[in-house]
Amino acid sequence: MKLGFLVDLQRCIGCDMCTIACKQENGTPADVFFARVLNVEAGEYPSVRRFYLPVLCNQCEDAPCLKACPNKAIFRREDGIVIIDQDRCKGAGACVSACPYGNIYLTSENQWYTPDSPHEAVAKERVKDHVAMKCTYCAQRVDNGLEPACVVACPTDARIFGDLDDPDSKISRYIAEQKESTDREPFGLLEQLGTQPKTRYLAPVNKPEVCLETEGTKEGEY
Amino acid sequence: MTTLAKWPGRIPDTGDSTGVRYVRTVDSPNCTGACGWIAAVKDGVIVDLKQAADYSDTSYNPRGCLRGMSMTQLIYHPDRVKKPLIRVGRRGEGNWREVSWEEALDFVAEKMKSIAARYGPESILFFNQVTGTGYVQKGAQTRLATLMHASYATAYDFNGDISMGYTETLGIDSIESESKAWAKAKTILLWGSNVLQTRIPDARFIVQAQQRGSKVVVISPRADQSAKAADFWLPIRPGTDGLLALSMARVLIEEGLINEAFTRKYTDLPLLVRDDTGQRLRASEVSLGALEAFVAFDETTQALVALTAETLARPPQERLALRGSFQVGIDGKTVTVRPVYERLLAQLLQTQYTPEEAAKVTDIPAQTIRQLARTYATQRPAQIIVGMGVNHRYHGDLAIRAILLLGALTGGFGQPGQSIDVYSGQHHFRINVESWWYPEGKRPNMVPAHYFVMGGPTPTMNPKIHYPAEGFKGFFFSHANPFTTERSTDWDRAIERLELVVACDFMMTPSCEMADVVLPAPTFWEKWELVGTGCHPYLQIQQPIIAPLYESRSELWMMRELAKRIDPAFAPYFDYTEPEVIQMLLREGGPEAEGITFEQLLQGPVRLKVPDPDVPLLEQIQHDKPFPPRAYPHPQGAQRPFLQSGRMEFYKEEAAFQQTEETVPVYKDAWDHLSAPERAYPLALVTPHSKWRVHSTHSNNPWLRNINRKPVIEIHPKDAAVRHIEEGDLVEVYNDHGRFQLWARLTESVRPGVVAVDHGWWSRFLAAGDYHSVVTPERVNPVQEAYYLPAVYAPGQAWKDTRVEIAKVVQSS
Repeated sequence: MKLGFLVDLQRCIGCDMCTIACKQENGTPADVFFARVLNVEAGEYPSVRRFYLPVLCNQCEDAPCLKACPNKAIFRREDGIVIIDQDRCKGAGACVSACPYGNIYLTSENQWYTPDSPHEAVAKERVKDHVAMKCTYCAQRVDNGLEPACVVACPTDARIFGDLDDPDSKISRYIAEQKESTDREPFGLLEQLGTQPKTRYLAPVNKPEVCLETEGTKEGEY
Repeated sequence: MTTLAKWPGRIPDTGDSTGVRYVRTVDSPNCTGACGWIAAVKDGVIVDLKQAADYSDTSYNPRGCLRGMSMTQLIYHPDRVKKPLIRVGRRGEGNWREVSWEEALDFVAEKMKSIAARYGPESILFFNQVTGTGYVQKGAQTRLATLMHASYATAYDFNGDISMGYTETLGIDSIESESKAWAKAKTILLWGSNVLQTRIPDARFIVQAQQRGSKVVVISPRADQSAKAADFWLPIRPGTDGLLALSMARVLIEEGLINEAFTRKYTDLPLLVRDDTGQRLRASEVSLGALEAFVAFDETTQALVALTAETLARPPQERLALRGSFQVGIDGKTVTVRPVYERLLAQLLQTQYTPEEAAKVTDIPAQTIRQLARTYATQRPAQIIVGMGVNHRYHGDLAIRAILLLGALTGGFGQPGQSIDVYSGQHHFRINVESWWYPEGKRPNMVPAHYFVMGGPTPTMNPKIHYPAEGFKGFFFSHANPFTTERSTDWDRAIERLELVVACDFMMTPSCEMADVVLPAPTFWEKWELVGTGCHPYLQIQQPIIAPLYESRSELWMMRELAKRIDPAFAPYFDYTEPEVIQMLLREGGPEAEGITFEQLLQGPVRLKVPDPDVPLLEQIQHDKPFPPRAYPHPQGAQRPFLQSGRMEFYKEEAAFQQTEETVPVYKDAWDHLSAPERAYPLALVTPHSKWRVHSTHSNNPWLRNINRKPVIEIHPKDAAVRHIEEGDLVEVYNDHGRFQLWARLTESVRPGVVAVDHGWWSRFLAAGDYHSVVTPERVNPVQEAYYLPAVYAPGQAWKDTRVEIAKVVQSS
């Protein structure tokens, strides 16, 4: 079994629902985001393009964080999910430096949003200070037969999760279908580093154009 | 508990589920989303949220965005109003006395009674927004206003939500397809509309259509978030949308892309207009029938025929003339009459509407204008979504009339994926709420809040509007935050004139801070409510997930307590529990609610009894029913005065339209109503909605502010460079009306000459001032006063017609 994650960038609208659904599920402290969305703007007016890149742990097959940990607090489960053991972690921070994606968080003390909130208290009492933390593909949900919180929450169905080894899984079928219908192949981030990321992406299908000539505009006149 | 997962996930799915209750509910902020949620509650605390994803039409699952998902951050926010408050010291000073409900209610009731006795009950104005309220809780307030004969201002016309271009053309202020219909479109024009950001739960249907090969065109001065999906981005010069549309209309005509059968059947383009008076020819004038009937020329029989507003059905052999001019005898005089189409053509054939000339003004190349017109007419179904970027302008109605003309000329309505829709607020009641809102058929004194803010009527105010003789002395607002989203010097003066300002909210907003009394309301997950919304055809119920926090009480409870203090005779009108009111609304809600029960709604969402897919104008296009579609809660026929032909009208004969030369859609310069000093400011300010807030709600949401950390003004690097502004600089935005300070974000995605500040930031998050203080103050367009029907035909807003300058703030060391 090899659990993988696919983000179809055609479908992603950069809405940050994943970012917040993750917060609700995982109760992460302030400034810690297991799931984030990078908002990219490329080109110059008027040939400017907008682009969204949701990022989360890549659960690398050759995970630099796992190799870097001096306390052997990072391990890989049989389904391929890479876990930082919250009990063994001593907050050395080697994993933070080793992760080329910047997806591991470590602070000396967790900062919280609303000190008196009973909702936050539930999260607060369960999250330790000064331990490294990162996305686990919501392993706690996976163990209960559920998909990660960000996957079920995505309002454009841009996030697809499943077993890459199983050709009948949702993710394998989607990859095959999109190869067929839109001729797209999944890719990973910074693949040249050899980390073998299991969070994969499909590129957007639209190739935006703008009206390039601007016949009427004179400088300084709007 | 940690398992092999080694991360403590939320209780409901994975942890200790002992004592966890799951409650299905729905949110009701002002975004119109109405998304269903399942909350997990343990020991009276909401510990988790997941989208309910239980819509019978599974294409809507899951429904919900980051704002709903972070509601827990508002519910348990330290800024909650916890107890009734009475002001101590001056207004806005921030000094309060916490009082008992008894004292607060006695105080408000006594003040209201005293004001009513001295100035008349209509001098008390009720004003409420959607946030936190719906048919039941908001209705309780309307009900009290009605019983008191107080004044009531609908938020929708004041917000500029209603699109007067629609009302003038279709007789209803907006039409909206349910969002899944968008997926059927082959061509999608997002015209000043940023649906990927503002309609997150519905956006999937745009990207799905595109994935299947549909083309998406974004027309906006910003490469906004929706430009991500754009196959074409047209960075239009702000305020020139109407010209682009009229130029496209000219291309359609020149290139023979007109669906003449559609225009004959559904529009007023064949109706004859008198050259001498500019009035439409009446059947009675040529002895063809009643005064209400209009006249066209039938090319088959070569005779005049009368057209009534009773039906759109016409004899099959008939062919109404669109061209030509005809002589008729009226009172012994020969009068020349021509079809509306001829008048429209005369307008469109003016040089300014050629694509080449339009290109100079809109900054969209002529070839692109031609291509866009051809694509819209031929690559069908074609869906246009019009945004408030087009509407929130003094001449927004003209621009929208022009856009609707594109649909009228090409048969662009009444099919899934083929409509021209606008999604702008929750003013479309899905069911008839009269039974609860308006006891015994009475109405409160309806007044557009524009006049309240301006401090009196305009000379052209519609005579149907009764402005209180003594002006306004009392103001009761609930879940509205005008001191953020509408603040201006006019607002400040309006408040100064008041003897009583009562705010009702769950959050201590900047507007609550300006009140005399603040009444703590529960959030919408601490009380009962019945929720329906425009773009999503389901009825849903809110049930108290948790008991009202602190001392908050539902609006129905507050109104009941106020009512019996104001007049014991009102008490029986509030002798209902919330579930009883919901049952009454369902029973009396009309055909859309037929058979839907409270018990069903407790289980989950129930689709309204509407067509599937719910596409607007089906009754007109498919069943020959005359325009306009009915606007609840107004009685059938209330819209007829401003759409007398029963057709889509592109000719308006009323004096206000004649005087302004707006009888047919024309292009007018967006800034022509500004004074010379106002026009002289070099930058156009737009205030788009962002995903971080619903208007100003969520301004203080700590999760969302953890991502969207501080307010910025988007400015093009060229505009920044000449002002020596660099990324991140503190800048002041100013004009003659006001000023505020925030931080600069240099971006290539905004058109040079345009700057953008996300709408709704509470002032406390800005470096200084109020963002709305620079916005062009209240200015009523007289054509929008020709009739008055609350939230249907009423003055709009010109908020996007704002010009400013920016300067770097030099901080002294």
